[in-house]
Amino acid sequence: MTTGEAPDRWPRSSGRPARDTLIVLALAGYAWVASAAAPFSGRALVSVLVPGAALGVIACGWPPERIPAPGRLDVTGFSYWAICIAATLEWEASAFRSGSHPWHPSLTQLIGPLIQPHPVRSGAFLVWLLAGWALVRR
Amino acid sequence: MSRSITIIGFALLISAMAGLEFAARRGISGIPTVGQWLGYLMRSRAGRALVLLGWWWLGWHYFAR
Repeated sequence: MTTGEAPDRWPRSSGRPARDTLIVLALAGYAWVASAAAPFSGRALVSVLVPGAALGVIACGWPPERIPAPGRLDVTGFSYWAICIAATLEWEASAFRSGSHPWHPSLTQLIGPLIQPHPVRSGAFLVWLLAGWALVRR
Repeated sequence: MSRSITIIGFALLISAMAGLEFAARRGISGIPTVGQWLGYLMRSRAGRALVLLGWWWLGWHYFAR
């Protein structure tokens, strides 16, 4: 690869599987409870504020060992990503521009009903939490 | 534009990104993984703050609203 690094595996193990398992179980429990909050409620807001604040404090105060970033990116390789992301944003923007009608729904309108069942919602919440942790390590 | 065309469009784009991640992990022609290009963007303090803010916004958008 021109980035000079082997693709990383995710999630990365810390070498302490028992501790990692406990942490994931605790996060899954939090996700289960947090995702039960009613939309637009104060509890729902707090349930996403707490992880955000916790990761902010960890990132600033006690940063974990970071995964080294590549020194440079292959422009051509990254351009494929840029094209896909730009196209997705344009597709989403066109839905908003047309008023997010049922015949041209936004991604939010499509994903919302899919994550309504509590187990699915809590699973999605757990993925969001783990993604946040993965980002802090970057 | 019909609803199914919109959904097919999103499905194609998401599939394309999944394909890019798969290709990156196979080491194909310089394509970076999501982690690699996000790590690259997060080298600066501002980039790090923006990416983390974007992560938090996603959580707020989908789980608090």
